Amino acid sequence: MTVKIEVVAGGIPHTKIMVAGLLASLVCLYLSYLNVVTKTEMFSFFGGLAVVAALLWGSHTIKVLCSYGIGTGVPSAGMIAFGSGVMGMLLATKFGIAAPIVALVLAAIIGLIIGYLSNDVLNMKIPTMVKSLTELAIVGAFTLMGFAVLMTGSFTFANLMSGSVTFLGQVMPSFQVSFIGGSLIATAFMLGAIAIQHPFNACLGPGWTQDRMLILTAECGFLSMIVAAFMSFALITSGSALISLIVALVGWGYTYSEYMKLGKRDAAAWLDSKPIPDVEEH
Amino acid sequence: MESIVFGIGITALTGALATVAGAAEDTESNIGSQGDPNSQVQLAPQMGYLHRIFNKAVAGEPPAYGLWCALGAGLAWAFMAMQINAVLAIVLGCVLAVFVQGVYATTAYVGRTASLKKFGQPVYVDILKSMTTVTMAHAFVAIFCTVTLCYLMNAALGHPFPLPLLGLLWGIALGAAGSAVGNPYYGKERQYQNQKFGAGVPIAQSGNIVRYAEAGERNSLDNGFFTAKLGGPASGVCFGLIVFLELWRTVIFERISAGWGAIIVGILIILIFTVIDRYIEVWARKTYGPYAAPVKEASS
Repeated sequence: MTVKIEVVAGGIPHTKIMVAGLLASLVCLYLSYLNVVTKTEMFSFFGGLAVVAALLWGSHTIKVLCSYGIGTGVPSAGMIAFGSGVMGMLLATKFGIAAPIVALVLAAIIGLIIGYLSNDVLNMKIPTMVKSLTELAIVGAFTLMGFAVLMTGSFTFANLMSGSVTFLGQVMPSFQVSFIGGSLIATAFMLGAIAIQHPFNACLGPGWTQDRMLILTAECGFLSMIVAAFMSFALITSGSALISLIVALVGWGYTYSEYMKLGKRDAAAWLDSKPIPDVEEH
Repeated sequence: MESIVFGIGITALTGALATVAGAAEDTESNIGSQGDPNSQVQLAPQMGYLHRIFNKAVAGEPPAYGLWCALGAGLAWAFMAMQINAVLAIVLGCVLAVFVQGVYATTAYVGRTASLKKFGQPVYVDILKSMTTVTMAHAFVAIFCTVTLCYLMNAALGHPFPLPLLGLLWGIALGAAGSAVGNPYYGKERQYQNQKFGAGVPIAQSGNIVRYAEAGERNSLDNGFFTAKLGGPASGVCFGLIVFLELWRTVIFERISAGWGAIIVGILIILIFTVIDRYIEVWARKTYGPYAAPVKEASS
Protein backbone atom coordinates (compact mmCIF):
# COMPACT_ATOMS: atom_id res chain seq x y z
CA MET A 1 0.00 0.00 0.00
CA THR A 2 1.25 3.43 -0.86
CA VAL A 3 1.42 6.29 1.55
CA LYS A 4 -0.98 9.16 1.24
CA ILE A 5 1.07 12.32 1.05
CA GLU A 6 -1.60 15.01 1.06
CA VAL A 7 -5.07 15.29 2.51
CA VAL A 8 -8.00 17.47 1.62
CA ALA A 9 -7.73 19.91 4.49
CA GLY A 10 -10.72 22.17 5.01
CA GLY A 11 -12.83 23.35 2.12
CA ILE A 12 -15.85 21.59 0.68
CA PRO A 13 -15.84 17.82 1.35
CA HIS A 14 -15.46 15.57 -1.68
CA THR A 15 -18.81 13.83 -1.26
CA LYS A 16 -20.61 17.15 -1.47
CA ILE A 17 -18.78 18.08 -4.70
CA MET A 18 -19.53 14.64 -6.11
CA VAL A 19 -23.27 14.80 -5.45
CA ALA A 20 -23.51 18.39 -6.67
CA GLY A 21 -21.55 17.67 -9.85
CA LEU A 22 -23.51 14.53 -10.63
CA LEU A 23 -26.90 16.18 -10.14
CA ALA A 24 -25.97 19.40 -11.92
CA SER A 25 -24.64 17.69 -15.02
CA LEU A 26 -27.59 15.25 -15.16
CA VAL A 27 -30.06 18.13 -14.85
CA CYS A 28 -28.22 20.16 -17.52
CA LEU A 29 -28.15 17.20 -19.91
CA TYR A 30 -31.89 16.72 -19.45
CA LEU A 31 -32.57 20.46 -19.82
CA SER A 32 -31.05 20.18 -23.29
CA TYR A 33 -34.02 17.92 -24.09
CA LEU A 34 -35.97 21.19 -24.34
CA ASN A 35 -34.51 21.21 -27.86
CA VAL A 36 -36.77 18.30 -28.79
CA VAL A 37 -39.77 19.66 -26.90
CA THR A 38 -39.59 23.11 -28.48
CA LYS A 39 -38.21 21.82 -31.83
CA THR A 40 -35.27 24.24 -31.79
CA GLU A 41 -31.55 23.94 -31.06
CA MET A 42 -31.43 26.97 -28.76
CA PHE A 43 -30.87 24.96 -25.59
CA SER A 44 -27.67 23.26 -26.79
CA PHE A 45 -25.62 25.42 -24.43
CA PHE A 46 -26.92 23.30 -21.53
CA GLY A 47 -24.53 20.64 -22.85
CA GLY A 48 -21.64 22.99 -22.19
CA LEU A 49 -22.88 23.70 -18.66
CA ALA A 50 -23.11 19.93 -18.08
CA VAL A 51 -19.47 19.71 -19.16
CA VAL A 52 -18.44 22.37 -16.63
CA ALA A 53 -20.37 20.68 -13.80
CA ALA A 54 -18.95 17.23 -14.60
CA LEU A 55 -15.40 18.59 -14.87
CA LEU A 56 -15.68 20.31 -11.46
CA TRP A 57 -16.50 16.97 -9.89
CA GLY A 58 -13.88 15.11 -11.96
CA SER A 59 -10.99 17.42 -11.18
CA HIS A 60 -11.65 17.06 -7.46
CA THR A 61 -11.75 13.28 -7.86
CA ILE A 62 -8.35 13.50 -9.56
CA LYS A 63 -7.12 15.52 -6.60
CA VAL A 64 -8.30 12.78 -4.22
CA LEU A 65 -6.82 9.98 -6.36
CA CYS A 66 -3.50 11.66 -7.15
CA SER A 67 -2.89 12.53 -3.50
CA TYR A 68 -1.62 8.96 -3.35
CA GLY A 69 1.57 8.19 -5.20
CA ILE A 70 -0.08 6.39 -8.12
CA GLY A 71 3.19 6.08 -10.00
CA THR A 72 2.13 7.98 -13.11
CA GLY A 73 1.60 11.62 -13.96
CA VAL A 74 -1.66 13.44 -13.36
CA PRO A 75 -2.56 13.63 -17.11
CA SER A 76 -2.89 9.84 -17.29
CA ALA A 77 -5.87 10.05 -14.93
CA GLY A 78 -7.64 12.30 -17.43
CA MET A 79 -6.92 9.87 -20.25
CA ILE A 80 -8.30 6.84 -18.41
CA ALA A 81 -11.39 8.82 -17.41
CA PHE A 82 -12.27 9.53 -21.01
CA GLY A 83 -11.06 6.20 -22.37
CA SER A 84 -13.51 4.41 -20.10
CA GLY A 85 -16.16 7.10 -20.38
CA VAL A 86 -16.35 7.08 -24.18
CA MET A 87 -17.50 3.44 -24.22
CA GLY A 88 -20.35 4.04 -21.80
CA MET A 89 -21.35 7.25 -23.53
CA LEU A 90 -21.47 5.81 -27.07
CA LEU A 91 -23.47 2.76 -26.04
CA ALA A 92 -25.85 4.88 -23.97
CA THR A 93 -26.75 7.16 -26.87
CA LYS A 94 -28.69 4.21 -28.33
CA PHE A 95 -31.26 4.51 -25.53
CA GLY A 96 -32.96 7.74 -26.57
CA ILE A 97 -34.20 9.90 -23.73
CA ALA A 98 -32.79 7.54 -21.11
CA ALA A 99 -29.27 8.09 -22.47
CA PRO A 100 -27.80 10.15 -19.58
CA ILE A 101 -29.05 7.65 -16.96
CA VAL A 102 -27.83 4.68 -19.02
CA ALA A 103 -24.46 6.42 -19.49
CA LEU A 104 -24.23 6.82 -15.71
CA VAL A 105 -24.86 3.12 -15.09
CA LEU A 106 -22.72 1.79 -17.93
CA ALA A 107 -19.76 4.07 -17.15
CA ALA A 108 -19.99 3.12 -13.49
CA ILE A 109 -19.81 -0.58 -14.42
CA ILE A 110 -16.85 -0.02 -16.78
CA GLY A 111 -15.10 2.12 -14.17
CA LEU A 112 -15.64 -0.56 -11.52
CA ILE A 113 -14.11 -3.22 -13.77
CA ILE A 114 -11.09 -1.05 -14.62
CA GLY A 115 -10.71 -0.08 -10.97
CA TYR A 116 -10.84 -3.73 -9.88
CA LEU A 117 -8.28 -4.73 -12.55
CA SER A 118 -5.82 -2.02 -11.59
CA ASN A 119 -6.21 -2.39 -7.85
CA ASP A 120 -6.44 -6.15 -7.38
CA VAL A 121 -5.04 -7.73 -10.55
CA LEU A 122 -2.22 -5.26 -11.15
CA ASN A 123 -1.90 -4.97 -7.34
CA MET A 124 -1.72 -1.20 -7.12
CA LYS A 125 -3.51 -1.35 -3.74
CA ILE A 126 -4.60 2.26 -3.50
CA PRO A 127 -7.58 2.62 -1.12
CA THR A 128 -9.63 5.04 -3.20
CA MET A 129 -8.70 3.59 -6.61
CA VAL A 130 -11.91 1.67 -7.42
CA LYS A 131 -14.17 4.49 -6.25
CA SER A 132 -12.16 7.17 -8.06
CA LEU A 133 -11.95 5.31 -11.37
CA THR A 134 -15.69 4.67 -11.21
CA GLU A 135 -16.32 8.37 -10.65
CA LEU A 136 -13.88 9.34 -13.41
CA ALA A 137 -15.55 7.03 -15.93
CA ILE A 138 -18.93 8.65 -15.20
CA VAL A 139 -17.38 12.11 -15.47
CA GLY A 140 -15.82 11.14 -18.80
CA ALA A 141 -19.12 9.84 -20.15
CA PHE A 142 -21.05 12.93 -18.98
CA THR A 143 -18.46 15.32 -20.37
CA LEU A 144 -18.44 13.66 -23.79
CA MET A 145 -22.24 13.60 -23.81
CA GLY A 146 -22.22 17.29 -22.87
CA PHE A 147 -19.91 18.09 -25.76
CA ALA A 148 -22.13 16.03 -28.09
CA VAL A 149 -25.18 18.02 -26.99
CA LEU A 150 -23.31 21.30 -27.32
CA MET A 151 -22.15 20.54 -30.86
CA THR A 152 -25.18 18.71 -32.27
CA GLY A 153 -28.05 19.72 -30.00
CA SER A 154 -28.89 16.11 -29.17
CA PHE A 155 -27.62 13.06 -27.33
CA THR A 156 -29.26 10.37 -29.43
CA PHE A 157 -27.16 8.07 -31.59
CA ALA A 158 -29.03 8.82 -34.83
CA ASN A 159 -28.35 12.54 -34.53
CA LEU A 160 -24.70 12.02 -33.66
CA MET A 161 -24.22 9.86 -36.75
CA SER A 162 -25.86 12.10 -39.33
CA GLY A 163 -25.56 15.70 -40.31
CA SER A 164 -26.63 17.61 -43.35
CA VAL A 165 -24.62 19.17 -46.13
CA THR A 166 -25.82 21.90 -48.50
CA PHE A 167 -24.85 21.14 -52.08
CA LEU A 168 -26.05 23.38 -54.94
CA GLY A 169 -28.81 24.73 -52.74
CA GLN A 170 -30.02 21.23 -51.83
CA VAL A 171 -29.84 20.02 -48.25
CA MET A 172 -28.66 16.43 -48.20
CA PRO A 173 -28.08 14.08 -45.26
CA SER A 174 -24.43 13.23 -44.75
CA PHE A 175 -22.57 10.84 -42.47
CA GLN A 176 -19.31 12.71 -43.09
CA VAL A 177 -20.58 15.97 -41.58
CA SER A 178 -21.59 14.64 -38.15
CA PHE A 179 -20.24 14.43 -34.62
CA ILE A 180 -19.00 10.86 -35.02
CA GLY A 181 -18.56 10.66 -38.79
CA GLY A 182 -16.42 13.79 -38.80
CA SER A 183 -14.52 12.58 -35.71
CA LEU A 184 -15.38 15.69 -33.74
CA ILE A 185 -15.64 13.18 -30.91
CA ALA A 186 -11.81 12.91 -31.07
CA THR A 187 -11.49 16.65 -30.48
CA ALA A 188 -14.10 16.50 -27.70
CA PHE A 189 -12.17 13.62 -26.12
CA MET A 190 -8.93 15.59 -25.96
CA LEU A 191 -10.65 18.83 -24.89
CA GLY A 192 -12.17 17.02 -21.93
CA ALA A 193 -9.15 14.88 -21.10
CA ILE A 194 -6.83 17.87 -20.82
CA ALA A 195 -9.42 20.07 -19.10
CA ILE A 196 -10.11 17.48 -16.39
CA GLN A 197 -6.46 16.95 -15.42
CA HIS A 198 -5.12 20.48 -15.90
CA PRO A 199 -6.57 22.12 -12.75
CA PHE A 200 -4.94 19.73 -10.31
CA ASN A 201 -1.79 19.45 -12.44
CA ALA A 202 -1.43 23.23 -12.50
CA CYS A 203 -2.27 23.84 -8.84
CA LEU A 204 -0.46 20.95 -7.13
CA GLY A 205 2.21 21.67 -4.59
CA PRO A 206 2.43 22.63 -0.94
CA GLY A 207 0.35 25.77 -1.51
CA TRP A 208 -2.61 23.96 -3.12
CA THR A 209 -5.95 25.61 -2.35
CA GLN A 210 -9.33 24.15 -3.19
CA ASP A 211 -11.11 27.29 -4.33
CA ARG A 212 -8.31 28.19 -6.74
CA MET A 213 -8.32 24.70 -8.27
CA LEU A 214 -12.08 24.59 -8.66
CA ILE A 215 -12.31 28.03 -10.28
CA LEU A 216 -9.56 26.92 -12.67
CA THR A 217 -11.65 23.84 -13.51
CA ALA A 218 -14.60 26.04 -14.37
CA GLU A 219 -12.25 28.19 -16.48
CA CYS A 220 -11.00 25.14 -18.38
CA GLY A 221 -14.58 23.98 -18.91
CA PHE A 222 -15.74 27.32 -20.30
CA LEU A 223 -12.59 27.60 -22.45
CA SER A 224 -13.35 24.21 -23.98
CA MET A 225 -16.94 25.33 -24.42
CA ILE A 226 -15.80 28.37 -26.45
CA VAL A 227 -14.00 26.27 -29.06
CA ALA A 228 -16.70 23.60 -29.04
CA ALA A 229 -19.25 26.34 -29.71
CA PHE A 230 -17.17 27.40 -32.73
CA MET A 231 -17.30 23.82 -34.00
CA SER A 232 -21.06 23.66 -33.40
CA PHE A 233 -21.60 26.31 -36.08
CA ALA A 234 -21.08 23.50 -38.61
CA LEU A 235 -23.76 21.24 -37.15
CA ILE A 236 -26.53 23.41 -35.64
CA THR A 237 -28.17 26.70 -36.60
CA SER A 238 -26.01 29.81 -36.33
CA GLY A 239 -28.31 31.49 -33.79
CA SER A 240 -28.16 28.54 -31.41
CA ALA A 241 -24.38 28.25 -31.78
CA LEU A 242 -24.10 31.97 -31.09
CA ILE A 243 -26.03 31.57 -27.80
CA SER A 244 -23.58 28.82 -26.74
CA LEU A 245 -20.63 31.00 -27.72
CA ILE A 246 -21.87 34.00 -25.73
CA VAL A 247 -22.60 31.89 -22.64
CA ALA A 248 -19.11 30.37 -22.94
CA LEU A 249 -17.35 33.71 -23.41
CA VAL A 250 -19.10 35.30 -20.43
CA GLY A 251 -18.36 32.29 -18.22
CA TRP A 252 -14.76 32.11 -19.32
CA GLY A 253 -14.09 35.83 -18.86
CA TYR A 254 -15.49 35.75 -15.32
CA THR A 255 -13.71 32.58 -14.19
CA TYR A 256 -10.39 33.60 -15.76
CA SER A 257 -10.31 36.94 -13.98
CA GLU A 258 -11.36 35.27 -10.71
CA TYR A 259 -8.61 32.68 -11.10
CA MET A 260 -5.99 35.37 -11.67
CA LYS A 261 -7.21 37.16 -8.53
CA LEU A 262 -6.88 33.94 -6.51
CA GLY A 263 -3.45 33.34 -8.04
CA LYS A 264 -2.41 36.79 -6.88
CA ARG A 265 -3.81 36.07 -3.43
CA ASP A 266 -1.91 32.79 -3.07
CA ALA A 267 1.40 33.75 -4.70
CA ALA A 268 4.46 34.59 -2.60
CA ALA A 269 4.87 37.83 -4.55
CA TRP A 270 3.53 39.31 -7.78
CA LEU A 271 6.49 41.05 -9.43
CA ASP A 272 7.00 42.79 -12.74
CA SER A 273 10.54 42.85 -14.23
CA LYS A 274 12.25 42.32 -10.88
CA PRO A 275 15.39 40.27 -10.17
CA ILE A 276 15.42 36.97 -8.31
CA PRO A 277 14.92 37.73 -4.60
CA ASP A 278 17.79 36.94 -2.22
CA VAL A 279 17.40 33.86 -0.09
CA GLU A 280 19.71 32.89 2.71
CA GLU A 281 21.45 29.78 1.45
CA HIS A 282 22.33 30.59 -2.15
CA MET B 1 2.44 6.39 -62.73
CA GLU B 2 1.19 9.93 -62.64
CA SER B 3 -0.58 9.34 -59.36
CA ILE B 4 2.63 7.94 -57.85
CA VAL B 5 4.58 11.04 -58.92
CA PHE B 6 1.84 13.22 -57.45
CA GLY B 7 1.91 11.12 -54.28
CA ILE B 8 5.70 11.49 -53.96
CA GLY B 9 5.37 15.25 -54.37
CA ILE B 10 2.79 15.41 -51.58
CA THR B 11 4.98 13.12 -49.48
CA ALA B 12 7.96 15.46 -49.86
CA LEU B 13 5.80 18.46 -49.00
CA THR B 14 4.37 16.83 -45.87
CA GLY B 15 7.89 15.77 -44.84
CA ALA B 16 9.07 19.37 -45.11
CA LEU B 17 6.04 20.64 -43.16
CA ALA B 18 6.67 18.03 -40.48
CA THR B 19 10.30 19.12 -40.15
CA VAL B 20 9.26 22.70 -39.52
CA ALA B 21 6.56 21.54 -37.10
CA GLY B 22 9.01 19.42 -35.11
CA ALA B 23 11.54 22.23 -34.78
CA ALA B 24 8.89 24.73 -33.68
CA GLU B 25 7.32 22.24 -31.26
CA ASP B 26 10.58 21.51 -29.47
CA THR B 27 11.50 25.18 -29.16
CA GLU B 28 8.02 25.94 -27.83
CA SER B 29 8.11 23.22 -25.22
CA ASN B 30 11.61 24.20 -24.11
CA ILE B 31 10.65 27.83 -23.63
CA GLY B 32 7.69 26.61 -21.59
CA SER B 33 9.79 23.99 -19.74
CA GLN B 34 7.24 21.38 -20.69
CA GLY B 35 7.91 17.66 -20.64
CA ASP B 36 10.42 15.96 -18.38
CA PRO B 37 12.79 18.96 -17.82
CA ASN B 38 9.81 20.52 -16.03
CA SER B 39 10.43 18.44 -12.92
CA GLN B 40 13.71 20.26 -12.27
CA VAL B 41 12.16 23.68 -12.86
CA GLN B 42 9.42 22.71 -10.41
CA LEU B 43 11.94 21.34 -7.91
CA ALA B 44 14.42 24.24 -8.01
CA PRO B 45 12.54 26.67 -5.70
CA GLN B 46 11.96 23.84 -3.21
CA MET B 47 15.74 23.42 -2.97
CA GLY B 48 16.20 27.15 -2.47
CA TYR B 49 17.06 28.03 -6.05
CA LEU B 50 14.52 30.68 -7.01
CA HIS B 51 14.47 31.34 -10.74
CA ARG B 52 12.97 33.30 -13.60
CA ILE B 53 12.19 30.27 -15.80
CA PHE B 54 8.72 29.81 -17.33
CA ASN B 55 6.95 26.79 -15.83
CA LYS B 56 4.18 25.82 -18.24
CA ALA B 57 3.06 22.39 -17.11
CA VAL B 58 -0.11 21.68 -19.07
CA ALA B 59 0.55 17.98 -19.60
CA GLY B 60 3.26 15.89 -21.17
CA GLU B 61 4.01 17.02 -24.70
CA PRO B 62 2.20 14.15 -26.49
CA PRO B 63 -1.21 14.72 -24.81
CA ALA B 64 -0.84 18.50 -24.98
CA TYR B 65 0.00 18.48 -28.68
CA GLY B 66 -2.66 15.83 -29.22
CA LEU B 67 -5.14 18.44 -27.98
CA TRP B 68 -3.73 21.46 -29.83
CA CYS B 69 -3.55 19.62 -33.17
CA ALA B 70 -6.89 17.83 -32.76
CA LEU B 71 -8.42 21.17 -31.86
CA GLY B 72 -6.84 22.98 -34.81
CA ALA B 73 -7.95 20.18 -37.12
CA GLY B 74 -11.45 19.98 -35.61
CA LEU B 75 -11.99 23.71 -35.97
CA ALA B 76 -10.57 23.68 -39.51
CA TRP B 77 -12.88 20.78 -40.33
CA ALA B 78 -15.88 22.69 -38.95
CA PHE B 79 -14.97 25.84 -40.89
CA MET B 80 -14.57 23.79 -44.07
CA ALA B 81 -17.97 22.20 -43.44
CA MET B 82 -19.30 25.77 -43.38
CA GLN B 83 -18.00 26.14 -46.96
CA ILE B 84 -15.02 28.30 -45.96
CA ASN B 85 -11.92 28.05 -48.15
CA ALA B 86 -9.51 25.37 -46.88
CA VAL B 87 -6.49 27.67 -46.40
CA LEU B 88 -8.53 30.21 -44.46
CA ALA B 89 -10.24 27.46 -42.46
CA ILE B 90 -6.92 25.94 -41.39
CA VAL B 91 -5.47 29.32 -40.41
CA LEU B 92 -8.59 30.26 -38.40
CA GLY B 93 -8.69 26.85 -36.72
CA CYS B 94 -5.03 27.11 -35.73
CA VAL B 95 -5.46 30.66 -34.42
CA LEU B 96 -8.25 29.49 -32.09
CA ALA B 97 -6.23 26.44 -31.03
CA VAL B 98 -3.28 28.70 -30.19
CA PHE B 99 -5.58 30.91 -28.14
CA VAL B 100 -6.50 27.87 -26.05
CA GLN B 101 -2.82 26.93 -25.76
CA GLY B 102 -1.94 30.42 -24.55
CA VAL B 103 -4.68 30.44 -21.90
CA TYR B 104 -3.60 27.02 -20.64
CA ALA B 105 0.01 28.26 -20.48
CA THR B 106 -0.84 31.28 -18.33
CA THR B 107 -3.04 29.34 -15.91
CA ALA B 108 -0.38 26.64 -15.58
CA TYR B 109 2.38 29.14 -14.76
CA VAL B 110 0.31 31.12 -12.26
CA GLY B 111 -1.06 27.96 -10.63
CA ARG B 112 2.25 26.15 -10.26
CA THR B 113 4.07 29.22 -9.01
CA ALA B 114 1.35 30.25 -6.56
CA SER B 115 1.48 26.76 -5.05
CA LEU B 116 5.19 27.31 -4.31
CA LYS B 117 4.46 30.20 -1.92
CA LYS B 118 6.12 28.36 0.96
CA PHE B 119 9.49 28.61 -0.80
CA GLY B 120 9.18 32.26 -1.76
CA GLN B 121 9.03 31.79 -5.53
CA PRO B 122 7.35 34.93 -6.94
CA VAL B 123 5.07 35.12 -9.99
CA TYR B 124 6.82 37.30 -12.59
CA VAL B 125 4.30 39.19 -14.68
CA ASP B 126 6.90 40.12 -17.30
CA ILE B 127 7.78 36.43 -17.73
CA LEU B 128 4.09 35.64 -18.12
CA LYS B 129 3.65 38.26 -20.82
CA SER B 130 6.81 37.75 -22.85
CA MET B 131 7.12 33.94 -22.67
CA THR B 132 3.47 33.16 -23.32
CA THR B 133 3.41 35.16 -26.53
CA VAL B 134 6.63 33.54 -27.76
CA THR B 135 5.34 30.03 -27.02
CA MET B 136 2.07 30.89 -28.74
CA ALA B 137 3.95 31.97 -31.87
CA HIS B 138 5.97 28.76 -31.96
CA ALA B 139 2.90 26.69 -31.19
CA PHE B 140 1.09 28.32 -34.10
CA VAL B 141 3.84 27.27 -36.51
CA ALA B 142 3.82 23.72 -35.13
CA ILE B 143 0.02 23.35 -35.15
CA PHE B 144 -0.41 24.99 -38.56
CA CYS B 145 2.19 22.73 -40.19
CA THR B 146 0.70 19.61 -38.58
CA VAL B 147 -2.89 20.42 -39.48
CA THR B 148 -1.80 21.27 -43.03
CA LEU B 149 -0.01 17.97 -43.45
CA CYS B 150 -3.07 16.17 -42.09
CA TYR B 151 -5.21 18.04 -44.59
CA LEU B 152 -2.84 17.07 -47.43
CA MET B 153 -3.00 13.43 -46.37
CA ASN B 154 -6.77 13.57 -46.25
CA ALA B 155 -7.49 15.63 -49.37
CA ALA B 156 -4.58 14.84 -51.68
CA LEU B 157 -3.62 11.29 -50.71
CA GLY B 158 -7.16 10.18 -49.89
CA HIS B 159 -6.51 9.04 -46.32
CA PRO B 160 -9.78 7.53 -45.03
CA PHE B 161 -9.63 9.14 -41.55
CA PRO B 162 -11.45 12.46 -41.01
CA LEU B 163 -9.30 15.53 -40.33
CA PRO B 164 -9.79 15.79 -36.52
CA LEU B 165 -8.76 12.16 -35.99
CA LEU B 166 -5.65 12.64 -38.14
CA GLY B 167 -4.90 15.79 -36.15
CA LEU B 168 -5.11 13.83 -32.90
CA LEU B 169 -2.86 11.01 -34.14
CA TRP B 170 -0.19 13.21 -35.72
CA GLY B 171 -0.35 15.70 -32.84
CA ILE B 172 0.52 12.93 -30.40
CA ALA B 173 3.30 11.77 -32.76
CA LEU B 174 4.62 15.33 -32.98
CA GLY B 175 4.66 15.74 -29.20
CA ALA B 176 6.34 12.36 -28.78
CA ALA B 177 9.06 13.24 -31.32
CA GLY B 178 9.78 16.57 -29.64
CA SER B 179 9.69 15.00 -26.20
CA ALA B 180 12.00 12.10 -27.05
CA VAL B 181 14.54 13.94 -29.20
CA GLY B 182 14.59 17.55 -28.08
CA ASN B 183 14.08 17.29 -24.33
CA PRO B 184 17.35 15.56 -23.40
CA TYR B 185 19.21 18.49 -24.94
CA TYR B 186 17.34 20.96 -22.75
CA GLY B 187 16.92 18.84 -19.64
CA LYS B 188 20.31 17.17 -19.42
CA GLU B 189 22.51 19.66 -21.24
CA ARG B 190 21.16 23.16 -20.76
CA GLN B 191 19.71 22.91 -17.27
CA TYR B 192 23.00 21.48 -15.96
CA GLN B 193 25.43 23.52 -18.00
CA ASN B 194 27.00 24.64 -14.73
CA GLN B 195 27.99 21.06 -13.82
CA LYS B 196 31.04 19.11 -14.89
CA PHE B 197 30.44 17.64 -18.33
CA GLY B 198 29.61 13.94 -18.31
CA ALA B 199 29.50 13.70 -14.53
CA GLY B 200 25.77 13.06 -14.34
CA VAL B 201 23.65 14.92 -11.83
CA PRO B 202 24.32 14.05 -8.18
CA ILE B 203 21.34 14.18 -5.83
CA ALA B 204 22.88 17.16 -4.03
CA GLN B 205 22.73 19.16 -7.24
CA SER B 206 19.04 18.44 -7.94
CA GLY B 207 17.24 21.66 -8.71
CA ASN B 208 20.46 23.60 -9.19
CA ILE B 209 19.56 24.56 -12.73
CA VAL B 210 21.13 27.33 -14.81
CA ARG B 211 19.58 30.58 -13.57
CA TYR B 212 22.22 33.21 -14.20
CA ALA B 213 23.72 34.41 -17.45
CA GLU B 214 27.11 35.94 -18.22
CA ALA B 215 25.50 39.17 -17.12
CA GLY B 216 22.14 39.24 -15.39
CA GLU B 217 19.58 36.49 -15.01
CA ARG B 218 18.41 33.98 -17.54
CA ASN B 219 14.83 33.40 -18.49
CA SER B 220 13.26 30.81 -20.75
CA LEU B 221 13.85 32.80 -23.93
CA ASP B 222 17.56 32.11 -23.47
CA ASN B 223 16.74 28.42 -23.17
CA GLY B 224 14.75 28.60 -26.40
CA PHE B 225 17.65 30.38 -28.08
CA PHE B 226 20.05 27.68 -26.85
CA THR B 227 17.97 24.67 -27.87
CA ALA B 228 16.85 26.14 -31.19
CA LYS B 229 20.37 25.48 -32.47
CA LEU B 230 20.49 21.68 -32.16
CA GLY B 231 17.56 20.31 -30.14
CA GLY B 232 14.87 21.90 -32.28
CA PRO B 233 16.23 20.88 -35.68
CA ALA B 234 16.95 17.36 -34.40
CA SER B 235 13.31 17.01 -33.32
CA GLY B 236 12.29 18.40 -36.70
CA VAL B 237 14.37 15.83 -38.56
CA CYS B 238 12.89 13.09 -36.38
CA PHE B 239 9.27 14.07 -36.99
CA GLY B 240 9.97 14.85 -40.64
CA LEU B 241 11.48 11.39 -41.16
CA ILE B 242 8.56 9.72 -39.41
CA VAL B 243 6.01 11.46 -41.63
CA PHE B 244 8.07 11.14 -44.81
CA LEU B 245 8.93 7.45 -44.45
CA GLU B 246 5.40 6.59 -43.37
CA LEU B 247 3.84 8.19 -46.43
CA TRP B 248 6.64 7.15 -48.79
CA ARG B 249 6.23 3.45 -48.07
CA THR B 250 2.47 3.74 -48.43
CA VAL B 251 2.52 5.68 -51.70
CA ILE B 252 5.15 3.50 -53.43
CA PHE B 253 4.40 0.00 -52.16
CA GLU B 254 0.67 0.11 -51.46
CA ARG B 255 -0.19 -1.56 -54.77
CA ILE B 256 2.02 -4.59 -54.17
CA SER B 257 -0.09 -7.59 -53.12
CA ALA B 258 -3.10 -5.61 -51.89
CA GLY B 259 -1.37 -3.38 -49.37
CA TRP B 260 0.91 -6.03 -47.82
CA GLY B 261 3.86 -4.52 -49.69
CA ALA B 262 3.63 -1.33 -47.62
CA ILE B 263 3.42 -3.30 -44.38
CA ILE B 264 6.46 -5.44 -45.24
CA VAL B 265 8.48 -2.34 -46.22
CA GLY B 266 7.41 -0.73 -42.93
CA ILE B 267 8.77 -3.70 -40.98
CA LEU B 268 12.00 -3.56 -43.01
CA ILE B 269 12.41 0.15 -42.19
CA ILE B 270 11.98 -0.61 -38.48
CA LEU B 271 14.62 -3.36 -38.70
CA ILE B 272 17.08 -1.08 -40.52
CA PHE B 273 16.62 1.63 -37.90
CA THR B 274 17.05 -0.89 -35.10
CA VAL B 275 20.42 -1.93 -36.55
CA ILE B 276 21.52 1.70 -36.97
CA ASP B 277 20.43 2.58 -33.41
CA ARG B 278 22.26 -0.38 -31.95
CA TYR B 279 25.41 0.51 -33.88
CA ILE B 280 25.32 4.12 -32.66
CA GLU B 281 24.70 3.01 -29.07
CA VAL B 282 27.64 0.60 -29.06
CA TRP B 283 29.87 3.18 -30.74
CA ALA B 284 28.90 5.86 -28.20
CA ARG B 285 29.54 3.53 -25.25
CA LYS B 286 32.97 2.58 -26.59
CA THR B 287 33.96 6.13 -27.44
CA TYR B 288 32.66 7.98 -24.38
CA GLY B 289 32.27 5.04 -22.01
CA PRO B 290 31.23 5.18 -18.34
CA TYR B 291 32.66 8.06 -16.31
CA ALA B 292 36.13 7.22 -15.08
CA ALA B 293 38.57 9.09 -12.86
CA PRO B 294 41.19 10.90 -14.94
CA VAL B 295 44.31 8.82 -15.39
CA LYS B 296 47.23 10.24 -13.41
CA GLU B 297 50.38 10.89 -15.39
CA ALA B 298 53.12 8.53 -14.43
CA SER B 299 55.63 10.45 -12.35
CA SER B 300 59.23 9.79 -12.96
